[in-house]
Amino acid sequence: MIHLDRLTYAYPGGLTPVLQDVTLHVAEREFVLVTGPSGAGKSTLLRCLNGLVPHFSGGTLSGRVSVAGHDPVADGPQVLSRFVGFVFQDPEAQFVMDRVENEIAFALENQAVPPDEMRARVEEVLGLLDLTSLRDRPLETLSGGERQRVAIAAALALRPRILVLDEPTSQLDPLSAQDVLETLVRLRDRIELTILLAEHRLERVLPHVDRLVYLQGCGQPVLSGWPREILGQMDLTPPLITLGKALGWKPLPLTVDEARALARAQVASGRREISRPHPEPPPSRHAASTSTFSEALLEVERLSFSYGANRVLCRVSLAVGRGELVALVGPNGSGKTTLLRCIVGLLNPDQGRILLEGESVAGRDTADLCRRIGYLPQNPNDLLFADTVLEELEVTLRNLGLSDAPPVDPDELLDRLHLREVATSYPRDLSVGQRQRVALGAVTVTRPRLLLLDEPTRGMDYPAKTELVRLLRQWQAEGTGVLLVTHDVELVAQAADRVALLVGGEIVADGPPSPVLTESPMFAPQMARLFPHSGWLTVGDVLSHLRPLTSLPLCGKLSPDDNFSFPGE
Amino acid sequence: MRRVISIAIYALCAAIGLLAFLYPFLLPSTPKAPTAMAHSQDAPLTTAALVGLSVTALLVELQGQAISAKTVAMLGVLVAITSVLRFIEVVVPLPGGVSLVFAPILLCGYVFGARFGFLMGAFTLLASGLVTGGVGPWLPYQMFAAGWMGLSAGWLGGIALVRGKSSHRVRGLGRRELTLLSVFGFGWGLLFGAIMNVYFWPFATGPANQAWSAGASLGEALARYGAFYLATSLGWDVARAVGNVALILLLGAPTVRALARFRLRFHFEVHPRA
Amino acid sequence: MLDVRAWLLWALTVLVAASSCRNPLYVVLLLLIVALTDVSFSAEKERRGFPSLFRFAALAVPLSAAFNALTVHFGETVLFRLPGWLPLLGGRVTLEALVFGLMNGLVVTLIFGGFSVFNRVTPVHDLVRLAPQAFHEAGVVVSIALTFIPETNRSLNRIREAQAVRGHRVRGLRDWLPIVVPLLVSGLERSMGLAEAMVARGYGAVSDRSHPLRLQLLLAGGLLALLSGWLGWLFFPGPTPLALSVLAAGVCLVVGAVWLAGKEVPRTRYRSRRWRIRDTLVALGSVLTLAAVQLPIPMIGRDTLYHSPYPRLSLPSFHPLMALLLLGLLVPAAVAIRRRPR
Repeated sequence: MIHLDRLTYAYPGGLTPVLQDVTLHVAEREFVLVTGPSGAGKSTLLRCLNGLVPHFSGGTLSGRVSVAGHDPVADGPQVLSRFVGFVFQDPEAQFVMDRVENEIAFALENQAVPPDEMRARVEEVLGLLDLTSLRDRPLETLSGGERQRVAIAAALALRPRILVLDEPTSQLDPLSAQDVLETLVRLRDRIELTILLAEHRLERVLPHVDRLVYLQGCGQPVLSGWPREILGQMDLTPPLITLGKALGWKPLPLTVDEARALARAQVASGRREISRPHPEPPPSRHAASTSTFSEALLEVERLSFSYGANRVLCRVSLAVGRGELVALVGPNGSGKTTLLRCIVGLLNPDQGRILLEGESVAGRDTADLCRRIGYLPQNPNDLLFADTVLEELEVTLRNLGLSDAPPVDPDELLDRLHLREVATSYPRDLSVGQRQRVALGAVTVTRPRLLLLDEPTRGMDYPAKTELVRLLRQWQAEGTGVLLVTHDVELVAQAADRVALLVGGEIVADGPPSPVLTESPMFAPQMARLFPHSGWLTVGDVLSHLRPLTSLPLCGKLSPDDNFSFPGE
Repeated sequence: MRRVISIAIYALCAAIGLLAFLYPFLLPSTPKAPTAMAHSQDAPLTTAALVGLSVTALLVELQGQAISAKTVAMLGVLVAITSVLRFIEVVVPLPGGVSLVFAPILLCGYVFGARFGFLMGAFTLLASGLVTGGVGPWLPYQMFAAGWMGLSAGWLGGIALVRGKSSHRVRGLGRRELTLLSVFGFGWGLLFGAIMNVYFWPFATGPANQAWSAGASLGEALARYGAFYLATSLGWDVARAVGNVALILLLGAPTVRALARFRLRFHFEVHPRA
Repeated sequence: MLDVRAWLLWALTVLVAASSCRNPLYVVLLLLIVALTDVSFSAEKERRGFPSLFRFAALAVPLSAAFNALTVHFGETVLFRLPGWLPLLGGRVTLEALVFGLMNGLVVTLIFGGFSVFNRVTPVHDLVRLAPQAFHEAGVVVSIALTFIPETNRSLNRIREAQAVRGHRVRGLRDWLPIVVPLLVSGLERSMGLAEAMVARGYGAVSDRSHPLRLQLLLAGGLLALLSGWLGWLFFPGPTPLALSVLAAGVCLVVGAVWLAGKEVPRTRYRSRRWRIRDTLVALGSVLTLAAVQLPIPMIGRDTLYHSPYPRLSLPSFHPLMALLLLGLLVPAAVAIRRRPR
């Protein structure tokens, strides 16, 4: 179906090629997952398949591409649109029309499909993606997941044989992401379709994938093969795989169920029981619960807020101590962002009060509050407007009248954020992770005592996340309190001191991460699902509690790291 | 050949626009008052229809030269942004006829050229009219005026480009260009008001203008229009013109810088199969 | 509920009827029709407020009356005199001029009312989809703009907040810079993504070609005919069949060019809504009224449409048949009332 032969491509003005000697063959009806660090050329590779590269982007291309018997380089994206459906990352930037059915018909109109056939095809696609009930809805009223489903429907309207999706869930919350990925899996059963999907969240799709393609970037060869085979060669993988690798499980588990079976087998061979509830949670770093952070930096007391008749927050109480990282999790629309906006004074609560270092913030100007609070909104692009990175930092200082005596030396801050080399670059030319750090710099140059972060890891790959955690740790060590709103459960498991769960505008749980996360089925990290009632959240937690066994040959392969026993013996 | 016909089309459209602008004043000066009387009933509608047709013709001509997806998408998004600026006017009351939509039209025309400028102007007024519930017989006039605004700004940009070095564009506007653009914005601020008045004028004075039937001279008709203009719109128009100048002076340079940076990405070289 | 095309015809008929009618009796009748249509198509909660039609009239009618009365010194019933040294205003102020001004105000209100109903009841996107084939690109541009307006609005608010938390305050015009620039740049970045999405779905699949020369020639010829025909029509006396036919030829040429340009790009149009009987009824009603006010049909009192208050105010004449024909514009309201559940 798809044959790439020694494909090399460089963007215009690019010194090194993004893709170098890529050779890849995909058979008909295969479900292919494309992964790799950002900047490794995932998007570029996918865009070669329908001729967007090089017809849309320019640049230099060599090698041979053949897709469904056509040459995208020679024929161009317009011809290929009949064979390749394409779904993009940002659901907000791919719609032309107002309503669901009009949007789906757009591609058909472009190809001059006769009206009667068009109507039939629109019905067909609507049915295929369970969108029939949404047909008349304006696109702006749809949720992120629904929008991506519409985008898939629109891509399938021309009955392509190949569907290509470029990180379709990176801008979505976990539930919407699941909706989209499940749709893909269903789709694959219903119609004959070759699917290529680029995705960061491997855990959800891995069980359904026929082939995994790993782009390593930096001119290293592309790995392609059976998922389990490739996973073994990757550095950064979902927690389950990482654990499987650390414990030498073969084959590597793709689902929690598989892992459970493997663990059981391992225990059986070592005569250990694992599913037994642990008598008491193991002492961990989480044991340092609220008590350590006695000095409250932020106190929210019985806060209520409504938009008109719609009550968004209902008697919310929450505290953040000095040097504490509190994660605020909850489903979409539960009022997380509203709470943050109340804290910085963008919204005036109806009831309750907010104390910052013991003082009420009521009636204080946002600008004034933001000398002490650093608030990073969801989209860093909303902040960036200056011509250079350094200027972004200086603008904040100037706004607040701090230019003469900056609380933090901007140059030093840039060093800390690893932005020194790009200090004079145009912020918008940087990568997602870098932009995020520039925005972070712009709000932390006042040396705030409290940091509010709204979904800081959206669209970030594993290394960028690790970098963010490192930064947060540094600030925490200096006494900065952090309130982190996120959907990223693994991030919470890794970094939070305390977790508050906000559902329907009310705090339903607040406490150390392990009890809060493990008890909520929606937010339990993989490790918690694998070892229920153990209190473990990360691979690190699991490994540090496994004591080496004397001798236990596991699945044939042995290495010093392989010998563990499960606790409670 | 194509070029000549294109210029002819522009010129004819401009002539029709000019006639639409002037006919209320020309009509009474003809000696055959009865004809004028007879036509004056249908004249406003006929004029609207003719202006509509000439906008249509100009649109066909301008979009004929293959609009790429990039242009269409960029136009769409820019029109959306400019239309939203029209909402700001509702939220933040601005003095007089100050409007935020004209400066972007001028600047986009200036950076991206005459064709883009015309389409940007015409579509901005169309889209914001559709959204704010402003569809009516006045719409062709608005599209016509705003379209020409963008078109002429594109020509201005073309001249500046020939005289200066194109690489300067990336750094934004020079002081000279900025002054030129502000003067231009001032002029168009007044002109837009005048054009829109002409649309309204026949409706406001009624089909059988009693001044005409009384055999009034061109001078009198102009004086009356002058009074109408003073009474209804001069204040607004001057405010709009000053607003344009202020917007261009304050926001022009960074906006052009942002647009121009983008223009680089917009144009690229393809080397398939190196 | 009704097809956009039917509504468009209705609104245009209101426009034509309004501008060719200066009889206060008919104008009031038309105003009532428009007001009734307005009410029958507004939702329950909207109906409580004072209709925008009256608010507009309250502004436009006195203004127009005052302007006309003060600048036109014509008519026999003199109300008072202004000193002659006042330029333009000086002279007698007559009742006739005042009444004529009032009439003008009412007509402008009528036009406004007709289009405000039209604007409110028609879904904007359906309107865009009416664009002829030749304006497919234009339609797409406007459609994108309309789709992006709500999104841009949200983006604007987000940016304002994001800047506010950096200590930004909007005090003067220059302070809009940190808001406008990110809005613009994000928009442009998004437009690139959008263009990609469009190309990936075959946009421009068949149309990346220039117009042929004959199309340009048609356009130029049409415009030339329009211009000369119009000049002739305006400035030459009597029934001018020549000027009119040149004008008609110009219209045909331009329309033909548009049609030709549309044929160049084989595209189809998706319509989920079909033309229904009630749409036909509305169209028929509008056509009836249109014919009554525009075509020289005898026996329907077409001469009563125009009533001049000069030189001395008199009672306007009224023809019942004409009034009946104007009621053709009432069809949408009738359809709406019939379909409303009680």
